[in-house]
Amino acid sequence: MGVSEAVLRVDGVTKRFPGVVANDDVSFDVRPGEIHAVVGENGAGKSTLMKIITGLYPPDKGEIFLRGLPAAFRSPRQAIAAGIGMVHQHFMLVQNFTVAENVILGAEPARRGLIDLREAARQVAELCRRFGLKVDPLARVEDISVGEQQRVEILKVLYRGADLIILDEPTAVLVPQEVSELFEHLLTLKEQGKTVVFISHKLDEVLRVSDRITVLRRGRVVGTVRTGGVTRQRLAEMMVGRPVLFDLRRSANPPGDPVLALEGVTASLGGREVLRDLSLVVRSGEVYGVAGVEGNGQTELAEAIMGLRPVDSGEIRLRGENITNLPTGEVRQRGVAYIPEDRHRRGLALPMTVWENAILGTHRSSEFASRGRLDLRRAFRATEESVLRFDVRLTSILAPVQTLSGGNQQKLILAREFRGQPAFILAAQPTRGLDIGATEFVRQQLLSARDSGAAVLLISADLEEILSVSDRIGVIYNGHIQAEFSQDEADPRTLGAYMTGARTRERKGAAGR
Amino acid sequence: MTPGGKSLKLARRLKGATKYAILDAVSPIVAVLFAMAVASIALVIIGKNPFQVYATMVSFSFGRADSVASIFFKATPLIFSGLAVAVGFRVGLFNIGVEGQYLMGAFLASWAGFAIKGLPGYVHLPLVILAGALGGALWAFVPIWLKVKRGVHEVITTIMLNHTAFLLLHYLIFDVFMDKSQVVVGGAGSPRVRMPPIELSARVPNLHDALAVFGINLPAHAAVNWLLIGGIALAVGVWYLLWRTPFGLELRTVGHNPRAAETAGIRPQVVYFKAFLLSGAVAGLVGLSDLLGYFGYLDIDFPRGYGFAGIAVALVGRNSPFGIILAALLFGFLSRGGLGIQVLERVPMETYVILQGLIILSIVVASEVVRRYVRAQQKKEEAAAHAEP
Repeated sequence: MGVSEAVLRVDGVTKRFPGVVANDDVSFDVRPGEIHAVVGENGAGKSTLMKIITGLYPPDKGEIFLRGLPAAFRSPRQAIAAGIGMVHQHFMLVQNFTVAENVILGAEPARRGLIDLREAARQVAELCRRFGLKVDPLARVEDISVGEQQRVEILKVLYRGADLIILDEPTAVLVPQEVSELFEHLLTLKEQGKTVVFISHKLDEVLRVSDRITVLRRGRVVGTVRTGGVTRQRLAEMMVGRPVLFDLRRSANPPGDPVLALEGVTASLGGREVLRDLSLVVRSGEVYGVAGVEGNGQTELAEAIMGLRPVDSGEIRLRGENITNLPTGEVRQRGVAYIPEDRHRRGLALPMTVWENAILGTHRSSEFASRGRLDLRRAFRATEESVLRFDVRLTSILAPVQTLSGGNQQKLILAREFRGQPAFILAAQPTRGLDIGATEFVRQQLLSARDSGAAVLLISADLEEILSVSDRIGVIYNGHIQAEFSQDEADPRTLGAYMTGARTRERKGAAGR
Repeated sequence: MTPGGKSLKLARRLKGATKYAILDAVSPIVAVLFAMAVASIALVIIGKNPFQVYATMVSFSFGRADSVASIFFKATPLIFSGLAVAVGFRVGLFNIGVEGQYLMGAFLASWAGFAIKGLPGYVHLPLVILAGALGGALWAFVPIWLKVKRGVHEVITTIMLNHTAFLLLHYLIFDVFMDKSQVVVGGAGSPRVRMPPIELSARVPNLHDALAVFGINLPAHAAVNWLLIGGIALAVGVWYLLWRTPFGLELRTVGHNPRAAETAGIRPQVVYFKAFLLSGAVAGLVGLSDLLGYFGYLDIDFPRGYGFAGIAVALVGRNSPFGIILAALLFGFLSRGGLGIQVLERVPMETYVILQGLIILSIVVASEVVRRYVRAQQKKEEAAAHAEP
């Protein structure tokens, strides 16, 4: 394997940002016709590295070689011209344009100064045929599925003649079926002589599809390995720097009494029904997982329970007491903990200090307030206890909470919400954007709360998370729980079928167990 | 991990935070110096020696006790209006309506001051002050009610109510409460357009007697009065409310992130309502130093512009009650010094306006620079704390 063989060679790239070294002497090479995975935790430097390769950032040190020649791109346009195409995690498509129009946007075939749409459609159809990408060139983007939209993104880079295609976390938005289809496409691309760089932190997927894997940790390359010669366990260790517990230890709890019950809950947003006749029961000592493709009512479900969104009809009961449309403060007073899905928008007041955020919501309790005065000493002490118990890393409890990393911010929210021994915990996307270590921690906390008798409602877009943490699973689609499964009878394919609406309206007996 | 070792570390971390507080406090001083340097350019262009101008400004302002008293007198209404604006800012509302609110406060105070007779001072004066606060709060009620119930933006309504307040005041003074008892010497002009004089029992005494105790003797014409002390006390009160009470915590949380507040069980609409009424009540006191401590009556030429100046004061004072006291004093000094250089150095009064504008700009920029620097430093420290274990 000579160096000249490499399509892409990254040589000693270093990139510093104020306060962090995002990439530290990173070197690896990508061979022609391979699927090369780049894995690492959040903050390991994957995105920065890709931005350097595609010319968005200049490196502080080091060089990039493309087919043996130095390639210091100063803009993404130059990278595209050199045959590097990037498929971003968040699609950049014009919703009310057709597939063909989106593909040619910025490189339109023209005849006498007019865009030749027929020629465009023909070229796009030809690309689809050649690479086995099934999508209708004349369909509007807003009408097609997320998986199809991703194919449009891939078509865009193929249309521009890319032969090195970088995909940034491409499976994050896909359901299991779509992931399988994507992987088939990647293999087709490979057969057609394209080279693929696949960025991910999902180890199972990486092991399934890649030829070689480069692992990044804290901005450094830990190593590049052949996929056949490595186990998942070993890969995780390389990523995290220590052995990782994959199978969360869970004791078989007999489920207790119902704590939270929703019956026929319906809610609407701007005239559109976002929750339809939704019913579910969460018992003490169990985790009920709500699986679903995002945008099917998960956000609204959480907000309806918390009194943040009015319910039109139906009933929400907490330990038998009707809490439908009760103000948030009163819902919380009844022993409800809430981990909001967007910690920046709903969870924290970022410019405020750690201690202020840590007591928010309980600041009027007799513990922190007496005779109209905040007891700062108690607030500090309680915050310090929480910080130590939940291992929140920080410089000062007087520092603004925005100086904390995402994982530590989430731990702080957990510490705050778990303080009063809640009877019911509503956790919405609790590990989103967290690294492996923090994710593991959050899941364990949820399970230990369950073990001590709390009822947990877990809403997550991460199917793997749902499957590993939940005792029972309900699939939400179009604002309705379509099906329920116990943990042992749930498998990703069946769940996936319900998540996409391919199968509907069926209720298994698990609820009555 | 020993508990002792851990808490030691936390103590060290607390110390780190004070370092930034000092930096935060020093930045406005640097900004003022910078603004003075830039203003020097303007002075040089009009052919003046900046050093001499600034020296005159300082010597004129601080040369005599009554001149210093004048600075404090000028600063008094600005402390109130700065606080009123800051309370709004802290909850995330832009109270442009302090201008109208203080006029209405002054009107209600003036009415309570002349219409109620025969009360002893210790009852009458507090009552009149309360009337001022009530006037301001009433004028703030309309915009905040529209905001909370109907989602009307407070900037629009408060601006419109400023005009309404002024015109209403004209009507009330001229057509309803005009003092008809004024004796005009034949052929010596027309009577003043003003309301009847406020009872002596509702006047705010000046600080002469109190200062005499400390050996400071002010000439009779100095107007600085007890409302200066009142303003400082109110600043302490606002500070306490914001930083030491549960309501203050709610107010600031709503100001930073109303959705997070809502999620924590706070009702943002209620907090907006209370905080804005408070802002209006404080605004209602802005005019009282002039009304009760100087003129003794409300006329058509009652000083205007304190409300808008209050926005600048709050900005320069960084919405901090103590910062606002200093900012108000700075503006008082600039205004007094501006008078001095106009008379003694023949520098146009506009120079003072230029300097004031430059200072506001510099402080805003400097505070942003410091904020970013501190944020970057804290992130770095946080990253270091990460690596530590």
